[in-house]
Amino acid sequence: MFPLDSAWNISFAGCGFLGVYHIGVASCLQEHAPFLVANARKVYGASAGALTATALVSGACLGEAGASIIRVSKEARKRFLGPLHPSFNLVKIIRHCLIKTVPENGHEVAAGRLGISLTRVSDGENVILSDFHSKEELIQACVCSTFIPVYCGLIPPTLRGVGWGGFSKSVELGTSGMISDSGLSPTVAARTCGQVEAAACGTDAACGFARDWGVVSLGLAGGSGKVNAPVSIRVNVSLSYLSYPSVFFTLQTQRYVDGGISDNLPRYELKNTITVSPFSGESDICPRDSSTNMHELRVTNTSIQFNLRNLYRLSKALFPPEPQVLRDMCKQGYRDALHFLKKNGLLHLQRPSPDRPLLAIEAPPEEKKEEEKEAEDQMEDNTALAVVEDHIFEHLPPKLNQALLEACAERRGLLTGISKTLPIRVATAMMVPYLLPLESAVSFTVRLLEWLPDIPEDIRWMREQITEICNYLVKKAKKKLGSHLSARLYYHLELGGPQSLSISPASPCGEAVPMWMRNNRSLSDVMLKWEEYQRQLVMGLLCINVDMQASLFPWEGFQMKLPPLDCAKECLPLF
Amino acid sequence: MAGAAAVALSLAALPSAAVMAEEEASSERLGWLFSWLPAWCPTSLLHLKEAEDKMLKCITSTYNKRYVYLANGNKIWTLTFSPDLSRKTPLVLLHGFGGGVGMWALNFEELCENRTVHAFDLLGFGRSSRPHFDTDAREAENQFVESIEEWRKEMGLEKMILLGHNLGGFLAAAYSLKYPSRVKHLILVEPWGFPERPDNAEHERPIPIWIKALGAILSPFNPLAGLRIAGPFGLSLVQRLRPDFKRKYASMFDDNTVTEYIYHCNVQSPSGETAFKNMTIPYGWAKRPMLQRIPQMDQDIPITVVYGARSCIDGNSGSTIQSLRPKSYVKTIAILGAGHYVYADQPEDFNQKVKDICDSVD
Repeated sequence: MFPLDSAWNISFAGCGFLGVYHIGVASCLQEHAPFLVANARKVYGASAGALTATALVSGACLGEAGASIIRVSKEARKRFLGPLHPSFNLVKIIRHCLIKTVPENGHEVAAGRLGISLTRVSDGENVILSDFHSKEELIQACVCSTFIPVYCGLIPPTLRGVGWGGFSKSVELGTSGMISDSGLSPTVAARTCGQVEAAACGTDAACGFARDWGVVSLGLAGGSGKVNAPVSIRVNVSLSYLSYPSVFFTLQTQRYVDGGISDNLPRYELKNTITVSPFSGESDICPRDSSTNMHELRVTNTSIQFNLRNLYRLSKALFPPEPQVLRDMCKQGYRDALHFLKKNGLLHLQRPSPDRPLLAIEAPPEEKKEEEKEAEDQMEDNTALAVVEDHIFEHLPPKLNQALLEACAERRGLLTGISKTLPIRVATAMMVPYLLPLESAVSFTVRLLEWLPDIPEDIRWMREQITEICNYLVKKAKKKLGSHLSARLYYHLELGGPQSLSISPASPCGEAVPMWMRNNRSLSDVMLKWEEYQRQLVMGLLCINVDMQASLFPWEGFQMKLPPLDCAKECLPLF
Repeated sequence: MAGAAAVALSLAALPSAAVMAEEEASSERLGWLFSWLPAWCPTSLLHLKEAEDKMLKCITSTYNKRYVYLANGNKIWTLTFSPDLSRKTPLVLLHGFGGGVGMWALNFEELCENRTVHAFDLLGFGRSSRPHFDTDAREAENQFVESIEEWRKEMGLEKMILLGHNLGGFLAAAYSLKYPSRVKHLILVEPWGFPERPDNAEHERPIPIWIKALGAILSPFNPLAGLRIAGPFGLSLVQRLRPDFKRKYASMFDDNTVTEYIYHCNVQSPSGETAFKNMTIPYGWAKRPMLQRIPQMDQDIPITVVYGARSCIDGNSGSTIQSLRPKSYVKTIAILGAGHYVYADQPEDFNQKVKDICDSVD
């Protein structure tokens, strides 16, 4: 029995094209236990699950949503390479479908009740978004949640103006009187730099830390603030950090990808979350395969039992199967949800037969007695379910049923008849190498045109990414060099040492916080940065060599005992 | 890592490590050359012991651990909690396939509050002996059951409350069939091997040939053979595929203690695992399903079936057992928000339920 006295959630797992299963589940819940949806505290979803969750919460037509999935899959199957064909733009299709199906006030209805699982690109953390300011934002959140990198595209979509609307420039934190140390989480009052127009956030900022370079990227989860308001951020900063004159924060429009990468089944750990997954495994509503294999794997919280049918499902998640298979999955979702409701005593009775509610609904009156007798035996439960399976499908909400049937229907005409004959198919297959480049060229042009408005921002983002990768590589190289360098190599490099040391002799090289991590925009800045890297590198080597010398010559061992701050100074007289 | 085996050998030579010496004796039988070759899987009984010690590190209640020697030379690794509370019927825990005593780490403390709790590694699993099992399903099952009975004799227990999870549940039921006078209450937690393999799988949409072929290729292997084949990568494989275990035990350990324990439990030479495989038919169904035999069970043995609401093993078994034993006590308890590993998913609920059952006994 499901406890209805405490708050509960519903969580839909991400599953690609198998999302049609969720449609079946959602329509069953909506029809047989509407209170379960209406009174749920939150409805969560990741990836394809987010689409169903959105449709369910915002009151969109589920039949339309189900039909869209089938239509999209048919579209994908038409092409060579399926959904990977360059002319198949999944993001665009999803956005169109959502614009069509989500009602105009969808974001208002969904606010606070819908939780969309997203993966933040900057640090790979999971974010659950539940505040939406407009329908576009809601749709964009769904698009982000379904964006599987590489499969859907290379540049992750941005999510603008959600909570942390509009600011993307650096925010400088002053030290003088601005940082108040209050225990474990000092409150940092930040003031904006000159060029920044707006900065706003809530206090529940999640803080991502790039410790090594002194740059803190802040992702602000769920805060809603006004434009042009002063920033107040609570940051967990280790205090040694704040002893430097200033710390630079980069606040930017975040980029998000598929929520399934970080959390495919949000809030599954809560006891009262009804988990829905099209893969058989340990979920509340999932297909029950005829296998008792105990092996299972967990893909970011989604439990997938290790069996052949799940393997098939996994293979079809991104490369859609035939429409009939999808329709069966929808049917199965409906059936599994019904089974769940029945097991937990949540099925609202519509006819006076309290002990066999399922059969009472499904079976025609004349067959009822016979079936009831059969159902007396609990062991026959499954077979009974199988018997009424087709009745259930007739019982699917007529709209959904109709939509699915229509979507599955093949257009029968002379043209399609001809195109299915063997010679034509062989001919098309042979044409692929010639047509593919042409189609690709056309679709790339279209995409480029569509991309135009976003180009500046995307380019900037890519530049930032490249800078970051460079930083990382240089840091790695420094570490590697530092540990493998021989004393001989040191003498070679030492010649250049004093020159570079004269520039910043006082900074402790071990934990130097590089000032140049401000977001530089121009090439000259990058060059400057590079020079400083080199300086850092040499200084790092110097310092390491002091240690090495000390270990090589025991009588100089006292050098090791020196505090790190003096280390750099001591280097000079030593050599 | 390979050197660890050698370290284990040299450690075994120390007089203080008498137990270890015995454990090593079995590996010495393989010849001196073999033991010096670097092992493909970075494991040994010593590793397993360390992993288990880490699992039990947080337990504050008093317990003793020892080997119980059976007549045929096998030994059973046994933990006994609150040994001085022997007035009440003791609770005996049988772990599931691929597990060991350490898996109950979240349950011992509460369960042993007012009665003795015994837990042991099943023959062929964990730190118990790993003998050769018969290839016949009936014989293998019998070997398991006899090892439990001998263990009981050695422990000097008159009656017990038998609790089994997964394979342990199957064996507990098999034991109760054969030695009904010893079982005061049978608690089946997510038992494996009860229903028969259904034939109605055909009405579903057929699966593609390539997947069937893959299944056919994999079926001759032991269920966890992949883990051993993976060798040095096995541990990270477990961590990658089952991050949930770490999460289940997060209240106790914030590192990879559990995955390490599970890994070391299962990469040793497969004995119980092979026996399990011989007792199954594809995919994961029992050759000799327990539901066929359950009507023959002594009517006086009360049965409680505990299952996780989210588990793949169907909770229907409980109601089926009930219908098959109309004159006996059968109760089914569902634990919400729990999967197959009920006792680790919702330990508080589980412990409470089991304590209630035990209190109803005496």
